[in-house]
Amino acid sequence: MAAMASLKSSLLLPCPLSDFSGAALSISSQTRRRSWRSRGATIKVSAAADSKNILVMGGTRFIGIFLSRLLVKEGHQVTLFTRGKAPITQQLPGESDAEYAEFSSKVLHLKGDRQDFDFVKTSLAAKGFDVVYDINGREAVEVAPILDALPNLEQYIYCSSAGVYLKSDLLPHFETDAVDPKSRHKGKLETESLLESRDVNWTSIRPVYIYGPLNYNPVEEWFFHRLKAGRPIPIPGAGNQITQLGHVKDLATAFGLVLGNPKASKQVFNISGAKYVTFDGLARACAKAGGFPEPEIIHYNPKDFDFGKKKAFPFRDQHFFASIEKATKELGCTPEYDLVDGLTDSYNLDFGRGTFRKEADFTTDDIILGKKLVSV
Amino acid sequence: MAFSSTAAATAAAAFASGHRSAACRPSSKSSSSFLGASFPRVSAVRRCAASGAPARRAVAVTVRAQAASAGGKKSVLIVNTNGGGHAVIGFYFAKELLAAGHAVTVLTVGEEGSDKMKKTPFSRFSELTSAGAKTVWGDPADVGAVVSGASFDVVLDNNGKDLDAVKPVADWAKAAGVGQFLFVSSAGIYTTSDEPPHVEGDAVKESAGHVGVEKYIAGEFTNWASFRPQYMIGSGNNKDCEEWFFDSKNTNPPAKILANFQIPTRTNLRKKRNLAGIVRKRPVPIPGSGMQITNIAHVRDLASMLALAVESPGAAAGKIFNSVCDRAVTFNGLVKMCAAAAGIDAEIVHYDPAAVGVDAKKAFPFRNMVPPH
Repeated sequence: MAAMASLKSSLLLPCPLSDFSGAALSISSQTRRRSWRSRGATIKVSAAADSKNILVMGGTRFIGIFLSRLLVKEGHQVTLFTRGKAPITQQLPGESDAEYAEFSSKVLHLKGDRQDFDFVKTSLAAKGFDVVYDINGREAVEVAPILDALPNLEQYIYCSSAGVYLKSDLLPHFETDAVDPKSRHKGKLETESLLESRDVNWTSIRPVYIYGPLNYNPVEEWFFHRLKAGRPIPIPGAGNQITQLGHVKDLATAFGLVLGNPKASKQVFNISGAKYVTFDGLARACAKAGGFPEPEIIHYNPKDFDFGKKKAFPFRDQHFFASIEKATKELGCTPEYDLVDGLTDSYNLDFGRGTFRKEADFTTDDIILGKKLVSV
Repeated sequence: MAFSSTAAATAAAAFASGHRSAACRPSSKSSSSFLGASFPRVSAVRRCAASGAPARRAVAVTVRAQAASAGGKKSVLIVNTNGGGHAVIGFYFAKELLAAGHAVTVLTVGEEGSDKMKKTPFSRFSELTSAGAKTVWGDPADVGAVVSGASFDVVLDNNGKDLDAVKPVADWAKAAGVGQFLFVSSAGIYTTSDEPPHVEGDAVKESAGHVGVEKYIAGEFTNWASFRPQYMIGSGNNKDCEEWFFDSKNTNPPAKILANFQIPTRTNLRKKRNLAGIVRKRPVPIPGSGMQITNIAHVRDLASMLALAVESPGAAAGKIFNSVCDRAVTFNGLVKMCAAAAGIDAEIVHYDPAAVGVDAKKAFPFRNMVPPH
């Protein structure tokens, strides 16, 4: 690991989630804020000197839950804009009462529907915010009223998706790769274009597959259901398709590192795990994470089946992975979790405690396994 | 990959990581493209050199060693294999060094008059000698005698695949006070992994010959480096994996493969470029789905990397480097790119080698697994 160790020590700043001291923030604070001089000659490492009024669009479901905690810990004022359908705050598994009380007492809520553009514009203009984290935006039209309401916005940080990349035989995807204007994620692309065209300091983050406790997308959950039920895992094709998962806490850290960072100004970053994984490998990693025996994997040709509207496998049936080198180099951050550790974290804090978002549905599995459905 | 579970098991081997800066472009002599991830301390070393680096220069070993540590002109010995995919590496490395003004001797294994020397890159050695290189032939086990007692600052072993072959060269180099020992290893030594890409430091097959060599030279030299390439292409290549695509005997698959496929007869009018004025559609047989991934680098990029190690020995010392392109490519993608390069249309024909009775290893020039990247 000599080369990598040297690389890390010479280029990178350490950034464990629990200890985010905002080193990057204090560097940028020197260049931007004249007022720090009045606080004395010493450079404050803590971000308190840079406390921002931050608006998070969303923030109560998955990424935002971890991101908002990180921002509050750093001393920022954090407001979550949601319809209020999910609880504004919920104590996380493994989170102490004291930590939760600290967070929930500080985080603010702005109740509203972001599809109500007039409301968005007036309420945001009335409050004024320094920074917007847009975690749940899908279409460019949703973003325009926010920009209109906040002409002095310091930074608009957008959660886009690596799904915008045009499928390619040459991988991994880099931020400069061609994007697909016809993809399912074209709304994200259009949003990025809008941000580019407006005179705003924007940053766009493109995650690949996100996983971790409270994931509402059945990524690891899909495997855990089958492993728990002792069922074989049906994987399309040869199982050597390569994909990539990134832990939600590492994603939150990355979102934190772009805040006030001049290197992130008008830049796109792929954020995901440091390593990729084959479909078969992911099944094995999930088994390890949950303490299950080595899984039985059944390969099948998806073209031989008609599953109707149901999805037989949670990943797109192709190679799909992106390079995170730009973020590593420019932002100085590497993911803290490797795949098995991250899946173990997810299992221990979520599925392993008996919680999950979607009930197990083995309909397509049974079609593949050739079992007849018996109606009771 | 054929849709069978046994095939899938072997296909799970990972590919090794190539950093973005090691771009798949012919690199210029001053190759700043490698001053990124692979050589993080290069700029630090250069700053030290500029400011005088007093601690290093004050250590008087010999006049030659001081000149070497300053990054001045070096005398380099390349012990080169006489065949196979790595043969061309020494050729390009020699060219890089010569262009930078270093003194180069190439020791090719075997005899100058052997039939092997009729193939490239050996048949192009005049390009080296006219630029000032010395070329000698002989047995690496006798390296001292073959080079007639000459001394060198740097030795690259681009020949041995195991310690039996490299040890005599390494031992001689150590005794002769050679300052830097470089070794061309192989990215094929990484153990199969579910999690590509392979990065330096990942587990390797302990029984692999190259692994034994890396361990040995790490113990013998302070200033050593090992380079792990995957597949190399480039003009002058001794083992032409890319040629396979252009050879009509390969691109007209035998009847038993074609039996179940219909080859369209209508030519693709969008592709106007053609060979000899005729647009041809060439069927190219690929075992399995064609989704298998490989990594192809241009040998010029590997040569640049080696040259950088010579010019910045401090940055390279004690390290292992994957020497690959920054992107992997699928077999399907490779065929399409070769076709585009040749200006012809390729029709990919997938087949299951087991079902057809073809040995997949011989049917296709790249390993049917996901290699290091």
